[in-house]
Parts: sequence; C-alpha cells; structure tokens
Amino acid sequence: MSNVTLSKVNKIYGSGRTGVHAVRDLDLAVPDGEFMALLGPSGCGKTSTLRMIVGLEPITSGDIRFGDLRVNDLEPRERNVAMAFETYALYPNFTVEENLAFPLEVRGVPPAERRRRARELAELLRITEILSAKPPVLSGGQQQRVSLGRALIREPAVFILDEVMSHLDAHLKFQMLFDLKRLHQELRRTMIYVTHDQVEALALADRVAVMSNAELQQVGDRNTLYNRPANMFVADFIGEPPTTFIPVERRDSAECARLHATGAELVFDVAAERIPDLDAHGGCEFMVGIRPQNLHLCDHGATIGGKIVINEYLGERSILSFVTGDVTLQALAPPDTRMAPGEHAGFSLDPRDVMIFDAETGALVT
Amino acid sequence: MADQARPDDRWRHVRVLFLAFLGLWLLFTLFPLYFMIITALKTTAETNLTVPTFWPELFAFGNFAAVFAEATNFDALIDSFVIATINTLLSLFLGTLAGYAFARFPRQAGGENLAFWILSNRMFPPVAILVPMFFLFDSTPWGTDSIWSLIILYLVFNLPLATWLMMVFFRDAPRELEEAAYLDGWTPLRAFLRITLPLVLPGMISVAMLCWIFAWNEYLFANLFVGTDVRTYTIVIPTFTHGSQTLWNLQMAFSLIAMIPPVTLFILLRRYMVRGLSLGVVKG
Repeated sequence: MSNVTLSKVNKIYGSGRTGVHAVRDLDLAVPDGEFMALLGPSGCGKTSTLRMIVGLEPITSGDIRFGDLRVNDLEPRERNVAMAFETYALYPNFTVEENLAFPLEVRGVPPAERRRRARELAELLRITEILSAKPPVLSGGQQQRVSLGRALIREPAVFILDEVMSHLDAHLKFQMLFDLKRLHQELRRTMIYVTHDQVEALALADRVAVMSNAELQQVGDRNTLYNRPANMFVADFIGEPPTTFIPVERRDSAECARLHATGAELVFDVAAERIPDLDAHGGCEFMVGIRPQNLHLCDHGATIGGKIVINEYLGERSILSFVTGDVTLQALAPPDTRMAPGEHAGFSLDPRDVMIFDAETGALVT
Repeated sequence: MADQARPDDRWRHVRVLFLAFLGLWLLFTLFPLYFMIITALKTTAETNLTVPTFWPELFAFGNFAAVFAEATNFDALIDSFVIATINTLLSLFLGTLAGYAFARFPRQAGGENLAFWILSNRMFPPVAILVPMFFLFDSTPWGTDSIWSLIILYLVFNLPLATWLMMVFFRDAPRELEEAAYLDGWTPLRAFLRITLPLVLPGMISVAMLCWIFAWNEYLFANLFVGTDVRTYTIVIPTFTHGSQTLWNLQMAFSLIAMIPPVTLFILLRRYMVRGLSLGVVKG
C-alpha cells in the first residue's frame, strides 16, 4: 500500500514571534497509484509540505502516513520515497550509469543486476548514449532524465517530483510532460508533483491540490477546479487569461434575481437553479467572476458590451480587452477577429457561467 | 587597409607598454631571488667585497654541504616539516568539521556571530599574545621547547582560517546532493564523506597549503619557544650571522634548501590551488 495521508500537518519555522507558519492544518489524501499535483504560487508552503513527506524537514505537528505506517519519526532512507530535485542533484563525480545505479548500490544489489536495471531504465528514458558521461557535461533535459531515472530505479512507494521542469525550455517541457505522463501510466506508482505552473499541473495530474498562504485551498480534478473553484484564489490562479472579478449588488426585479455591478452599467441574470443557494447565503453584496473563455463575441443578443481597448493576437486565439464603466473585462475570440481599439463590441454570456463569490471571504457561493 | 592599420598600431603600443610593465615587475620580484642564488654559490671572500659581483667568480657548490656541518641544521628542517605537517592535518580535520557545521547548521553551531568571531581570532597582531602564550605553554608538562607546543600554538592562527574557508566551500556545495543521498539510503556521515567531501577537495588542498606554509615559515614564536631540544629551520637561519661577520653564502644556501618543500608542493598542487582559491569549487 502506498497511499499517502497527511492529517492536520503544520510546519512552523523558527519559534515565538519570529516564527513563520509555512504549512497550516493540511489535510490531504493521495490514493495508491494516483498522480497528484501540488500547485501554488512561490512561498505558499508546497515545497515545505513535500520536504515533510520525504522526511527532510521535521513536522511541527500532525501526522503523515504511508498506508497504515506513521512515518513522522522515520529517517528519509527508511521511508522508501524517491525524489527528483529541482536542481537535479546529480552526483557530479559519478557517471550517469553510476548515478542511476546508486540507490541500488546502497541497498546491496549485485553489480550485474544494477547494470541491467540501469540500462533498462536508460532505454525507457532514452539516455542510453550518455551512460558513461558525467553530469556536468549534460544538457538540462538530459540531467532531468537522469534525475528521474535515479528516482525511479528502486521502485519506491512514493515518488516525488519537486519543480522538475522549471529550468527546461518550453519545447523540452512538452516532451517531458508527455514522457512523464507515459511513465506514470506504465508504472502506476503514487506520484506527487510540485509546481507553480498550472499548465504542468493540469496536464499531468489526476487531481490537483491548490495551496496558497500555507493553506490548502482546494483539491480536485481539472473540471472541478475550473468550473467550481472553491474560492476567488483558485478561480484567479487556475485558467489563462485570468478570471475577471466584478463587485456586484443583488437587486431582484419582478421576474428574476439580478446582480448589478457597482461600478458599471452591467447586469447579470442569475440562473434559476442558483437562486436557492443565493437565498440561503443571504446578504446582497457579492463578487462575480467571469472567465474570458465564457464571453462570446456576437452581433445580436449581446448581454455585455464595451469599448475595445486592446486586441492581443496570440496565434491560435486573440484576447480582447474591453471597458465598460470602470470595469475592464477580457474575452477570448477567434484569431482572425478584426477589432480595432475604440470599436464597440457585444458579447453573450450564459448565466450558468457566472461564478458568484462571497464579497468578504471570497468563498464560492454558487 | 590604412583604416585597419591604425587600430593595430594602437594595440601594439598598449602591448609594448604592457610588456615593459611586466618586465619591470619581473625585475623587482626575481632580482632578490637571483641575488640569493648567486650569493649561495659565492665564496665567503667574494660575499665580503665592497663592490658586489653579479656573477660568482668561482662556483662554490660546497656551500650546500657546508650548511650541514652543524648536524642539527638538518634536524631543524625535519622538525619544521613535522610541526607544519601535523599542524596542517589537525587544522584541516578540525576546520573541516567546524566549517561543515557552520555551513549546514548555522543556528545550532552558534550562528554567524560565532563564525565571525572565530575568523576574527586571525586578525589580532600575533606579537600581542607572545608573552602570555610563553607562560601558558611553559606550565604544560612538556614545556615550551617541544614540537607539540608549536603544533598547538599554530592552531590559534591556522584553525580560524581553515574553519572559515571550509565553511565558504561547504556553502558552495549544493545541499540537495546530500539530501538526495539521504533519500537514496545513505547515512549523513556516509553522504558527507562520499558526496560532499570530494566536492570540496580542491578547497581543502588550498587550505592545507596555506596552513602548511604559515607553519613552515613561522619565526616569531619559534624563536622564543624552542631552540634546545627542538629547532625549526627559521631559527637556524640567523645562526649564520656571527659576532664579527655574516656568512651570507651559507645563509642563502640554507634558505634555498628551505624553499624546496613549499615550492615543490606549489608546483605539484597548483591546479587545485587555483580552483580552490577562486572559491568557486563546485559551480560551472
């Protein structure tokens, strides 16, 4: 069993008034064989979490279990975890083959077997031609593969990747994303992938845990995070270009519930099935979140209109920024959209695509 | 063509100036060495001429044997060698462990202030502690006139330097390598010995050179502490000055012999010295 469970895990660096609370009451369960991504901006506590899982950082309070085994007090080498480092951490005075075989050597695997396994893995990772080279002469992508191979070779219970693609160029990154996904599908090992890049997290992981300010914000698959974000942070962090937030006030008309933007002549109808949630929450001040993907350029029946300020052409799509009142919104449009700044444009918006948040706490209302 | 010739000309002038400066600099640094060598080869009579000669009239190679007429002069070289070597090994051993602690566990090891205090021990004028140290070592069972007195005393100067430099080298050695080794199944001690230590080896070698040369060349404390049972070569050199005259040729011959060990070490280890002293042991 290699499911990983974190319950009420806290990490505080230092003590007293100067102490830094890096991870707060973290509850997270990664089932056996799952590819889980830990996503968040830098300084959100994701790397501290990972270092506590592998045992490089002591836990201030809480429990970490692998299967039924509580690992809090185990040394890193007793936990059967493998980790690929952001800086690769290859041993510079060993050859690639020695680097790959090193974890086996430590465990007393005989040389012939070590050699066979290293070659097997080198084939899987397509690094057979550099087996006798030493790390300092390798390219970033090659070092990356060797470091993955060294982590994979001894079939650990949990496999941890720390920002492993942050130093690769975009082209190499896509290649590695593909390889990593393929590896996971072949090996079906529990993997935890730490990153600040939502593209990597969403492309690779079965589920993504979003962290911010030392706290877990939400765990879910990409659809949940995208369509039902738990709060404004997740709605803002997931998705590109980012969600636009508009403060609104609830002023119902005779026939339907309506949200009026406070800074512009904008009115959002509330979908009928959402009214009970809104009623249950009470109050009349909310924040509305609108994803640029959900605004569709149209000639007739526009629900939102405004004056174009920027038309960014990005190859496969265009981003239109437009202003109405003192609100600036962004919308995705087909790449061949010919809209000059100053022109008026109309957009349609499905009421079901409007995300409504509590204005104070930022939590999703409906 | 003419347009291209002009910048070439200008560079030629710079080059000439540069070579002239280098030549002058070499003259300044090499002339004392040259004069030392020819003096070592002169007869005593020639060294006493009022107008010095710049090439020996007669090559007196016998000078190099004559310096050992006093049998204890050779023992002095051995004593110096033993003192410098043991002191270097001790400095390196203790300095490496302390430097590692300061680099990896700064809070537990006492913090930046303690590390700096250790380095600051190297900054006071040695002569200030000459007399206190004499009385301190005089009260030890072996007294001042022993190789152990100098070996321990030189730690006062070499250990701060070794600790501080090793700390800098260890800070440069990536911590992730050790962490990767822990995860791969090694104990911290094994990871330190097999992974981190080889990375700082060039640094260790240059630290060893600096310590060894300091201990080899030390005169002030040796002159006061030892002289009967133990003699270092540095206190033998002045003995060639007698009441009525100085045997310049023997003094220079002996000094040249004393230069052989450090110069040989420098030549053998110069590759590591440059890498170590550039303080960038691991990067690149």
